[in-house]
Amino acid sequence: MSYKIPMGPYHPGLEEPYKLDMICEGETILDVKLHIGFNFRGIEHLAEGRNYIQVVALLERVCGICSNVHTFTLCRAMEELTGLTPPPRAQYIRVIVAELERLHSHILWAGVAAKLMGFKTMFMTSFEIREKVMDVLQAISGNRVNYAMNRIGGVNRDIADPQAILKMVEALESEMAHTVIPIFTTSSTARSRCAGVGVLTHEQAINCAVVGPVARASGLAQDMRRAAPYAAYEELEFDVPVQTDGDVRARLLVRALEIMESCKIIRQALAKLPPGEIHTPGEKFAFTTGTATKRIEGPRGEVLYSVSWKQGSKTPARVHVRTPTFAVMPSIRWMMQGARLADAPLIQASIDPCYSCTDR
Amino acid sequence: MTQLESIQEKLGITEPWVERGGAHWLVPGEKSVREVAQAMNAVHARFITITAYQLAGDEGFRLEYHWDLDGQLLGVAFEIAGNSIESIYHLCEGANWPEREVHEGFRLDFQGRAYEPLQLRQGEQSGVNLREVKP
Repeated sequence: MSYKIPMGPYHPGLEEPYKLDMICEGETILDVKLHIGFNFRGIEHLAEGRNYIQVVALLERVCGICSNVHTFTLCRAMEELTGLTPPPRAQYIRVIVAELERLHSHILWAGVAAKLMGFKTMFMTSFEIREKVMDVLQAISGNRVNYAMNRIGGVNRDIADPQAILKMVEALESEMAHTVIPIFTTSSTARSRCAGVGVLTHEQAINCAVVGPVARASGLAQDMRRAAPYAAYEELEFDVPVQTDGDVRARLLVRALEIMESCKIIRQALAKLPPGEIHTPGEKFAFTTGTATKRIEGPRGEVLYSVSWKQGSKTPARVHVRTPTFAVMPSIRWMMQGARLADAPLIQASIDPCYSCTDR
Repeated sequence: MTQLESIQEKLGITEPWVERGGAHWLVPGEKSVREVAQAMNAVHARFITITAYQLAGDEGFRLEYHWDLDGQLLGVAFEIAGNSIESIYHLCEGANWPEREVHEGFRLDFQGRAYEPLQLRQGEQSGVNLREVKP
């Protein structure tokens, strides 16, 4: 006999509100229904009433973890509509901040995953390391969450002393390489809780059109930084980690390896940071009529912004945001089918869901 | 033949792709959204999203469908005079939530699919968030 177990919208196993209705037989999950919308703030509608300065601050608040990717993508779209190209130094600074954000997002996820695995020490270690990434972001931007780095035509703040930042990044990289990565990749606890759990096959990943680390853990080698390079990514060397098992462990490995790649990118970008201005001159911008669509690779995958403007207007006619979790979350249904009920929190967390991004 | 040309050929569209605003655009002419989706599936393009725009006056809506093909952003726009368009959910599972979102935001119907009932306002009308109600 099957029965329904609701999880959420408010549940200790969920980071933010959403709801899973799990149809179970014994301890086995037969099917899952997902319900979203509990974090809906109407941001796309609010954007239509904000001018080109205010809209950047508004969209930065779509997400509290990957706030930078939203303004980065939005500004790229607005730059297309204003015909502006940020100076080279700004492009490098954008890359550095984007990779630092990926680092703190992936390390935060590692901590959450460790907690759900019952690995409390690793949870504490991950959050301690994450604090150091936040320190670097604070040293650059003055902020810990919403960095306010991006503006139309460049960035708001310079990196005055790249060597000081480099030292912080090297210390961080060493700590990651000696603690988090080996434990996550070799510990029997991580293996026993994650291997073969919550599998999303290659075919299912294609059908569901998933993105980011979830896609790469199911063998899809897609990464916007490589497929359609933007900012300074074309001038930097990095690998795109891909795993083929499609389980929680594969998603864990992809993110762990991406942490090391991000450190590699930051080191190169700091070393190559070109001199010059950090934004185009002027504070007033003239928009042409049209729509610009831009994508970047956020910590959770491809973020897309479609921004529509009418010439002479100070406010956008439409801002549409497609966040990576919105693309990935429906695939939880396939990951959960046949899984043990006790694994449900870990499986849903393995996509590194951002519910605020999803609902906007 | 490039993959973009292959899509054109499958659809029998002679008008070329146009690069504009960061995407490659194809004018679908008389082709339906399902035919376009099938052509995209044939070249293994990844579905990304649907962006809905309400047009001025009583002109209806424009729906912009986006796919990714090896890093190239593809766009096909459909203008609809009424309130409905065919669903592509059964051709592309990734279109499920984007269709639902447009349905709930703009009160447009994607024919041939069912929707989840509203979670917080069950029984009430959808499409109150982004659709402008004109007198």
